[in-house]
Amino acid sequence: MSSLGFEQFPDYQVPGVSHADFSPYESNGGSIVAIAGEDFVVIAADTRLSSGYNIHTRTQNKLFPLSNKTVLASTGCWCDTLSLTGLMKVRMQSYEHTHLKTMTTDAVAQMLSITMYNRRFFPYYVSNILAGIDKDGKGVVFSYDPIGHCERATYRAGGTAGSLLQPVLDNQIGYKNMNLNGEEPPVLTKDRAVAVASDTFISAAERDIYTGDFVLINIITADGIETKELQLRQD
Amino acid sequence: MFLTRSEYDRGVNTFSPEGRLFQVEYAIEAIKLGSTAIGICTKEGVVLAVEKRITSPLMVPSSVEKIVEVDKHIGCATSGLMADARTLIERARVECQNHWFVYNERMSIESCAQAVSTLAIQFGDSGDSDGAAAMSRPFGVAILFAGVENKKPQLWHMDPSGTFVRHSAKAIGSGSEGAQQNLQDNFTPEMSLKDAIDLCLNTLKQVMEEKLSSTNVEVMTMTAEKEYYMFSKQEVEEHISNLA
Amino acid sequence: MDLDLARNLPRAGFNFDNCKRNATLLSGGFKPPTTTKTGTTIVGIIYKDGVVLGADTRATEGPIVSDKNCAKIHYLAKNIYCCGAGTAADTEMTTDLISSHLELHRLSTEREVRVVAANTMLKQMLFRYQGHISAALVLGGVDKTGPHIYSIHPHGSSDKLPYATMGSGSLAAMSVFESRWKPDLSEEEAKLLVRDAIAAGIFNDLGSGSNVDLCVIRKDNVEYLRNYELANKKGTRQLDYRFNIGATQVLHSTTKDMHITERIEVVPMETS
Repeated sequence: MSSLGFEQFPDYQVPGVSHADFSPYESNGGSIVAIAGEDFVVIAADTRLSSGYNIHTRTQNKLFPLSNKTVLASTGCWCDTLSLTGLMKVRMQSYEHTHLKTMTTDAVAQMLSITMYNRRFFPYYVSNILAGIDKDGKGVVFSYDPIGHCERATYRAGGTAGSLLQPVLDNQIGYKNMNLNGEEPPVLTKDRAVAVASDTFISAAERDIYTGDFVLINIITADGIETKELQLRQD
Repeated sequence: MFLTRSEYDRGVNTFSPEGRLFQVEYAIEAIKLGSTAIGICTKEGVVLAVEKRITSPLMVPSSVEKIVEVDKHIGCATSGLMADARTLIERARVECQNHWFVYNERMSIESCAQAVSTLAIQFGDSGDSDGAAAMSRPFGVAILFAGVENKKPQLWHMDPSGTFVRHSAKAIGSGSEGAQQNLQDNFTPEMSLKDAIDLCLNTLKQVMEEKLSSTNVEVMTMTAEKEYYMFSKQEVEEHISNLA
Repeated sequence: MDLDLARNLPRAGFNFDNCKRNATLLSGGFKPPTTTKTGTTIVGIIYKDGVVLGADTRATEGPIVSDKNCAKIHYLAKNIYCCGAGTAADTEMTTDLISSHLELHRLSTEREVRVVAANTMLKQMLFRYQGHISAALVLGGVDKTGPHIYSIHPHGSSDKLPYATMGSGSLAAMSVFESRWKPDLSEEEAKLLVRDAIAAGIFNDLGSGSNVDLCVIRKDNVEYLRNYELANKKGTRQLDYRFNIGATQVLHSTTKDMHITERIEVVPMETS
């Protein structure tokens, strides 16, 4: 990189004296998607971990099962992801010991929000999506901003290609901007959710340089978590 | 029981050679000086009833609060030192609110009792590291927790040693020995909430020195539908007058 | 000293005031328009009978791929081609401009232009612009003095090398050359080596991707192998995303009658 010279300063800027500030954050890329159905939820993440123009690994799982009903997908600054998911696991275990039960997805959702807001002025630089089965047995998705704002949704995309994928989900899952001729939108099947999730990643890998290699899909139902894998572009 | 009085009854952190903590045992004894409180857990819900000692006609009876709300789904009846009770109830309320704040769900009754127990046994701590003053003695309070969890009622009892146990029916306070016997004789798991209220009031009637009236008794029910519900003076009066 | 009497003469040469203005705007939080960059892996090697140039085909705008199959090997002269990395507009304009200069040079000298001339013209132009033209080039060609490869940096420095790489994937590509390049490779060996170097960039550098372009320049002919290899296949999607007719709602429609009042007559053309 440094051999070229032209990357060292942005366009339109004159090279001159500058000092490097220490930056505690880094973007390690990757995209995540979650789609909830009536009694299931599908959550997917690509497996590329990168920084700048370099690939660290092509096989990094970004899905963190927190219980047999709840999975957290996390991308952004990978060290913050590791720190946050580690803390979540500790707190899940601690809850299990003090309250003698497994945390519900709704409880995990709230706790994650509180945990992130605890770092309001030095946030975890992460894009989080939590997917699970709620206490009524319904599929549910929670999405977060880096400082703990939590929003309950039925489908959500996040990570580096999040802004590319969300409109696709709005249209294909939410049936936004789609004239259905007065008919009710069809009930989402598990197969369609998995297919749309896979297809969005195929498209994201075409245009987002930080998304690629493989996509891992977790399908959560009352019976547990099923895992699928699909190959993406490697370039 | 107290034939072996010795210097072992002074420190709260010292076992006697027989393996007893006298201060804790004394605290448990102190409860037996308190007003009687009774709790019965039925399938429909829990009922708590307490006697209020109105020692002077100049006292305002409504200012004596022995049954309090901890959260929508948990209520408490206390017996013993009321000032100590306030401290424990404050902790229970804070823990319930914190649990709601962090987990967006109701705290379980057992966890609530556990949290209060943690405070109750801090009498042994030296408490200097974080600036908290050390406690001089155990809390002289016994608590009955009435709650609903997953639509099912529960009754828990905690004594000054911090021990907490789940009960079907439990009496604490000065009349507890006689009351507990009466509960054992008359409690059935199938009894209705109405029967439980009557059993509570009848038992209180037997063990109280004063005549049972709507001014010297508090009644509260905890059901899945109504949750914490404190009886009004009129409602208590109705129940008393309908007693067999 | 009375400076009021002395007129401030403008300094000779280029004026970079706008660059300073832009720097000030940037420091004030102004967001400049984005440019298309060819993150890029470009390479060139000398083999027994000539040179082989290679390039990937990805163009990016920040983290987004803006062109999945762009051409980065540019024509300079019949016997000279040039790979470009950096800002797409800069590489294209620079090579086009020098290409026309070389053609004029050929016409006035009546000789086939030499690679060294192209190198000199390119580096002089880049130096004149003090690095503001973001073009990193690998120049290759064959002339009467033999095959030549030059790598030219945006500030105007250049190297004459037997094998060269440029762009964000230059390290990945160079690792292949450093381990496998040797003098007097056969054409097949050379093409395979260049392909492997570009593939190393495509797969290991996020700024490079898609396909491999090659250009083989021999003593008296050129073979431009556009999309020599499709290194990446697009995944096949499971569902059909075509919209049903009527998926877009018609909000309102109006019909206007066109009243044609003018009469049109055909007048035959005068042919006399």
